[in-house]
Formats: sequence, C-alpha cells, structure tokens
Amino acid sequence: MKFNIPIGPQHPALKEPISLRMTVEGEVIRDADLRLGYNHRGMEKLAEEKNWTQNIYLVERICGICSHSHATCYVQGVEKLMEIEPPKRGLYIRYLVSELERVHSHLLWLGVAGHEAGFDSFFMYTWRDREVVMDLLEMISGNRVHYAMNTLGGVRRDLDEIQIKKILDGLVVLRQRTEYYFKIGASEPTFVGRLAGVGYLSKEKAIALCACGPTARASGITADVRKDDPQAVYDEVPFDVCTADSCDVLGRTVVRIKELMESYKICEFLLRNLPAGDIAVKAPKKAKPNEVVSRYEAPRGENIHYIRSNGTERPERLKVRAPTLANYPATIEMLKNGFIADIPLIFAAIDPCICCAERTVELVNARSGEETVVRFGDLRKLAGERFAKSPVKRNAVWPF
Amino acid sequence: MKVAVFLPELLRHLFKKPATVDYPFKKLTVPEGFRGTPFLHPDLCIACRACERDCPAEAIVITQESDVEKKFKMVIHNDRCIHCAQCVDSCPTNPVKAMDMDHLYELACFDRHTLKTEWVFTRATPKREPKPVPAAPASDRAGIPAK
Ligand code: SF4
Ligand code: SF4
Repeated sequence: MKFNIPIGPQHPALKEPISLRMTVEGEVIRDADLRLGYNHRGMEKLAEEKNWTQNIYLVERICGICSHSHATCYVQGVEKLMEIEPPKRGLYIRYLVSELERVHSHLLWLGVAGHEAGFDSFFMYTWRDREVVMDLLEMISGNRVHYAMNTLGGVRRDLDEIQIKKILDGLVVLRQRTEYYFKIGASEPTFVGRLAGVGYLSKEKAIALCACGPTARASGITADVRKDDPQAVYDEVPFDVCTADSCDVLGRTVVRIKELMESYKICEFLLRNLPAGDIAVKAPKKAKPNEVVSRYEAPRGENIHYIRSNGTERPERLKVRAPTLANYPATIEMLKNGFIADIPLIFAAIDPCICCAERTVELVNARSGEETVVRFGDLRKLAGERFAKSPVKRNAVWPF
Repeated sequence: MKVAVFLPELLRHLFKKPATVDYPFKKLTVPEGFRGTPFLHPDLCIACRACERDCPAEAIVITQESDVEKKFKMVIHNDRCIHCAQCVDSCPTNPVKAMDMDHLYELACFDRHTLKTEWVFTRATPKREPKPVPAAPASDRAGIPAK
C-alpha cells in the first residue's frame, strides 16, 4: 500500500518553506515531489527600490546564518560594477569574517546533526563551543548575527592588536574542541552507525543534479568556488578542499569537520599576514550600466548573485541563487529508498536553515485520503525507535 | 567495539559551572563596538539628510519645522531600525559624528510607538559649532554630497 506524506509548505526544517510530498511504501520512501515558492518575500523587487548602500543590509537579511555570505557576494559584484578595488587590508578582514562565519555555521550544523541523530549531548557541547566564535564575531563587528562588516569598497571596521590576539586565542580553543569532536565522531559507534549509509547520493547523481557545497564534496566532487574561481584573497591563502567518498550523511559530517580545520588555518593565515593600510576606499553613488555575476562559497555551497546596473543609484535587477536551492534536486534523490525516520536527518544534512521550533509532518493515506498529523518530536521518537530495533551496523566505520 | 566514548566528557561536565548566565539577574557586558540604538547629538547635526537617505530601514525622518529659523526635527523610529549603524557611517560631521550608537540592547516593549525618539534642533553652522574643528558649511551639504 502506498501513502503520500506532505512535508511543508510551512516547515521550520527548511530555509524556504517548500512542500514535499513523499510516496511511501511501508517505511520506505519511493518517490518525492517538491514544490517551492511559498515564502516569496519580494526581496529582489525591493532591492530595485533601494540604493546600492541600502541593499547591502537588505541582502544581508536573506539568511540569518550566512548573512555575511550574501552581503559579500553582493558587494563583490557591485565593486566590479563600480570599478573600485578594495584595499588589501579590507579584503583580508572581509574574508576573515567569512571564514569565522563558516566556522559558526558548521558548528551549528554539527549540533543539529547530533540532535537529529539523537546525540543531544553532542548538540549541547558544539553549541556551547560555537559561542566562542559568536563572541569573536560580536567583538569584531558589533553584532552576533548581522555583522554588517561590508561596505562598498572594503569593510567598515578595522582590527586592532588586542582583537587579533583575542581571535587567535579563540581559534586555539576552537581547534582543540574540533579535534576532540573528530575523535568522538571516529570512535562513538552509535553516532557512526546512525549516520552511515543514510541519504546516499552517488557521485554521478551529484554531478547530474548540480549539488553544491559540502553535499557535493561529500560525494567526492572537489567543487569549491574558493579554489575553482578564487575571489580576492583566496588565491594567496593555502588551504585544501575537503572531500569524502562515502556519499552519505556521515561523509557530509566528516567534510564539515575537516572544513572547520581548514577554516581555522585560513583565519590564522589571514591574521598573521594582515597587511597594513586602509580598510576601505570611497565608493561612488552610481554605477555605470553593466551587469555582473558574483560567486561566493557560502557555508552551504555556492552562492550566486546576478546584478545589473543602469547608471543610477539603484540596481536594475538583483537575482539571488542561494545554495540550498541548488541542493533540492539532490535531496529528492537522497530521500528515495530511504526511511521516513531518516527524513529529518537527510534534510538536516543539506543544512537548510534549521529552526528549533516544534515541527509537524502530515501523513496522508493514499487510498482513503485520510490524514494524520505527526508532530516532529514524535517523528524523531519514531526515528529513535527504529534505530534501537535495527541491527547495529557493525561494519560502519568513520572513514578516516 | 568501543562503547560510550563520550562518557568521560559527560561525567567531567557534572562538576562544571553552567556555560550560560542567569540572564535577567546577571548580564553580560557587550563589547566595545557593540551596535545598540542610534541617537543624535542635536547640537552637531547640520541637517544634511545623508543618514535619512542611506538608512536601509527608512527609520530616520527629518523634517524642517520652519523655513526662517532653520529648525529641524529628526525622528528615529526604533521599531523599524535594524541597528546597522549605516547612519553613523554616512554622517559627514567632523571630527565628532552627529549620529552615534549607544550600547543598549534591552529594547523590547509592549507598544512599538513608544520606541520613537525625536529631537528638535537648530541646524548647526560653523559659527555655532561648539567643537574646536568646525563642521563644513551647511550650504555645501544641503543636498546630497556631490559625487
Ligand atoms: S542604525 Fe541603520 S536602520 Fe537604524 S537608523 Fe541607523 S541606518 Fe537606519
Ligand atoms: S549631520 Fe549627520 S545626523 Fe545630521 S542629518 Fe547629516 S547625516 Fe544625519
């Protein structure tokens, strides 16, 4: 017997409310169908009404977790349109904040993955350690979430010696903790057993479906805008693109932990080699008619902004493609032949904006059309039960 | 096969102080550059409207009270303000900015209209400028600064 399970449109597990209708046979998902467009905020249209400066703060509010990613992607593009070159020091500080943001986003994701896998103490500890980087960001920029560091032509705040020292100290703590989590991941059999083999996405499928970010890298694709099309400082900074070959949620976890280590390395490099000089140049109020595509590696994958100017104070068009959108087709593929109880984990693994609110899933009986509403907490309980009953995957290993 | 590798860490945390603070009773101090609420130094403002133009939330409204007296009124709608401090960056007065940010962060209230702050002031001119370095003549700045 086949059932349809709709998830969403209002579903806090997703960055943008989408509707997922899943056809299940017993516990197994056979097909999934995706509908978007429920959370149209009109931001792109609004951007056409605001001037270049105001739009920095508007695009920053597209996402709460990778706020700096959108703002950076936007200013990169507008700087090209205005033909201005930000000073080196400004760029170093800009991408330092980018990497710190990646650290906070990945630590947040690790906690969420732990929570969805039923490893709540892991969730508590990673989120506690995330406070270290949140405090650093607050110290640098004046706010914990919307850093507002970018301005056209550079950054708005400089770093002094004391701040640099504090950031370096914070990075030492974070690195220690991340190494510990890597060890835990590698040796805690329940955690590895829960994540291994869940949400399989083969390399071929990942390429065909244009997955991006850690989702693609966990399927063995070395795609990273920072390496492939280095913006500003990334061609000077030594770092490696982290990949995994296991193609499942375990791989996505490993990729993110390894990326944390790379981000610490990048931050330290940027701080130790911080050039002296100005942090910003003055930007004109208008941009000549032109168009530009700006790419940026956000914590979740490649972020793309298309900006067109028409010689006035305002953009004529601003189009934003957030990385989560690129990962939706791949999510459908991951869900197929998985279990209902794995839905939260698979969703969490592409790292859409996770909200801690109580969530609801609706179960529709395909034959009778009868609907049952399951609270997300119960779904998680179901997941726990299924995992407790299933045989331990003794052969599941941490891949490194 | 190893079991419960996390256990030593868990046990160690039994004897640790909580990582959180007892919020309403104990408060954390915010860092030096914290972006709180914008406020105006009315004696420095030259009413150039740069802040009004660049405010992304359209939270600043400047109106002229009377033509003859050069009296202006500025209203900051804190319910709309997104605390980005762009108004401070845009403010051209030198060496002290007429617009500034404080460190307040407990802004919640029951009625959003009570979050409005307003100042009625006479436009600062070089002569009345109380600061040692006079601000640029108001006539230069009356419109949008030439770019
Ligand atoms: S802080 Fe930002 S939103 Fe608030 S008044 Fe100033 S420019 Fe407007
Ligand atoms: S002087 Fe500063 S505070 Fe006054 S109107 Fe101009 S920008 Fe705003």
